[in-house]
Amino acid sequence: MTISLGRAFAAATLLFLALAAPVHAGGLWDDLRKQVEDEIRRSPAEAVKILPQPVQEAATQAARTLGHFSPEEEQAIGRQAAGNLLGAAPLVNDPKLQQYVNLVGRWLSLQSARPDLAWHFGVIESADVNAFAAPGGYVFVTRGLYRQLQSESELAGVLAHEIAHIVSKHHLKLLAQGQLLDQGGKLLSEQAGESEQIARMIGSGAELFSRSLDQKAEYEADSLAMVLAARAGYDPFGLPMVLQDLGHLSSDDRSVSLLFKTHPHPDQRLEHLEKTGQRLDGIYGRVNQNRFYRLQP
Amino acid sequence: MNGTRQLIACFAAGLMFACGQALGGEDGTARKASEVRKTPYRDARAVGVLATGDKVDILEKRGGWYRVKSASLNGWVRMLSIRRGQARKGGGGTHELVALVTGRAGTGRVVSTTGIRGLDEEELKLARFDAAALRVLDAYAASPAEAQRFARQGKLTARAVD
Repeated sequence: MTISLGRAFAAATLLFLALAAPVHAGGLWDDLRKQVEDEIRRSPAEAVKILPQPVQEAATQAARTLGHFSPEEEQAIGRQAAGNLLGAAPLVNDPKLQQYVNLVGRWLSLQSARPDLAWHFGVIESADVNAFAAPGGYVFVTRGLYRQLQSESELAGVLAHEIAHIVSKHHLKLLAQGQLLDQGGKLLSEQAGESEQIARMIGSGAELFSRSLDQKAEYEADSLAMVLAARAGYDPFGLPMVLQDLGHLSSDDRSVSLLFKTHPHPDQRLEHLEKTGQRLDGIYGRVNQNRFYRLQP
Repeated sequence: MNGTRQLIACFAAGLMFACGQALGGEDGTARKASEVRKTPYRDARAVGVLATGDKVDILEKRGGWYRVKSASLNGWVRMLSIRRGQARKGGGGTHELVALVTGRAGTGRVVSTTGIRGLDEEELKLARFDAAALRVLDAYAASPAEAQRFARQGKLTARAVD
């Protein structure tokens, strides 16, 4: 991310300099440019601060289109979105289930590129078959999807797909783009309070969770999910197992209407997993069927 | 005998993993021409080839492989080359029941008060922030140390995979 921020920052800076500095002699331009580049190499975050306000804003905005938010912003966005989702579908009242899902999820997250996020996992009360991720480390699985699972490695596959979205900041990128398109990049301006800015960015209620990511992001998350499961010592083929089951649910079935609307069909996802599957087919791991926490009917 | 041989194959791999997951003769179809191998390894001897559309019984899963039986072949094939014919028992197949419980029969509106509902776009949009539920969620969070202990208990060993 540092590199992307650096690049975005450099691009914004150079754009500003191009606009502001053409009247100056070439030597000054080159000096300034070199100074900025040195600063970026040292510390992109600090480098922003030495620049005039308009450049800072342009750099921040450019970075946001790449999904770069500060850890605090990411956490605040995720928490707001998670709290809104829980307003639509409460946690299943089964502490053992919730603790179990947190242990599996936290173990997986430790194998990810972002082991230090404040990871939270929950099973929510909904007959819909779906799972959700929010920035900052919030992962939810519906009761409807949990009921389909038959082993810990399958649960791991599902959680790892959502972890992958968070690690790759897919939703933040989506939010940043929406912010740019809808509001001309003014949402995070200083005029509005932080909570108001966040609320405006994520939209009404838990609407964020009904938005589709692009298909490429879904395929990427599937592939990374298998890798994460493998790293955690699980059978990496838990997710394909679940996808094979989900492929049998009719698209007329209301319980999968949102899932099928926001994701490619499971058959397509399985097809895209073929390469990763071939890469990982020599890696075995634990299925942990006996330890899997089963829901009371 | 077959079982013994599988066990030996498991240990031969030199890894700690649970041996096959029984699938109890589910239907499957070859999605494409696929080699059937004697053991679940890509370099294992091929015993034959399934043609696209060939029907198989899926007997067992191990890692990325299904042990299958077709009219003429018996062996292991990549699970991603097979389309499973039906959902496994225990999962799915209860959607009429779900519809009944949620009160979602035909009209598309939620009429039930059981609290188990679907999540459609409208419901998501109307959702209100629930701070109390978030605090409950926080309380369930696991620490890295707890997760590591849990992994050890489940014989999960972290390994480098790119």
